Amino acid sequence: MAASKLQALWNHPAGPKTIHFWAPTFKWGISIANIADFSKPPEKISYPQQVAVTCTGLIWSRYSLVITPKNWNLFSVNVAMAGTGIYQLTRKIRQDYFSEVQEAPVEG
Amino acid sequence: MYLAGKVAMSAFRAFWNSPVGPKTTHFWGPVANWGFVVAGLVDMNKPPEMISGNMTAAMCVYSGLFMRFAWMVKPRNYLLLACHASNESVQLYQLSRWARAQGFLDKKEPEVQQ
Repeated sequence: MAASKLQALWNHPAGPKTIHFWAPTFKWGISIANIADFSKPPEKISYPQQVAVTCTGLIWSRYSLVITPKNWNLFSVNVAMAGTGIYQLTRKIRQDYFSEVQEAPVEG
Repeated sequence: MYLAGKVAMSAFRAFWNSPVGPKTTHFWGPVANWGFVVAGLVDMNKPPEMISGNMTAAMCVYSGLFMRFAWMVKPRNYLLLACHASNESVQLYQLSRWARAQGFLDKKEPEVQQ
């Protein structure tokens, strides 16, 4: 019985034999890469990239709830993206604008 | 002139009401993803020390997968496909800049510095 349930999952139209599974699943890689980068010095963070990560995360979080069917995997991965993006941005903003201002590199 | 205007209006209306048009998520999701391409293009001029190997490598795999996703999804999403094809190119270029700065592309023994 468990075997046939597993089989149903395996053969699902959005299951692990399809791109509909692996593409959103791999999107976690972006958040994981960002988390790995939490330990990098803020000078190395790229504003444009993290803004893109944050905005994509926010927009897709909203839209994964309005598509049919609701895609909770897509929702959670985009929430994580927005979260890690926001955190990286606050790290960099804190360093650029709120710490000792010797030569605050003001770049976008 | 009037005819050209009419054609333009009807083309615009077709776009506006399209099932993958600006009233739908099938449009704005991909638009958001163009942010990665823009960010990548802006970062092409930055010194390679600023490139994150983790993030760039993740982007390369991500855009590769999503090119296939955009092709297979219903309805087929050409905007998403174009976005990820562009991002794939930009990110691969950034990855090569990063790898060269790390010494991975030298002929001799590379000093593996993170």
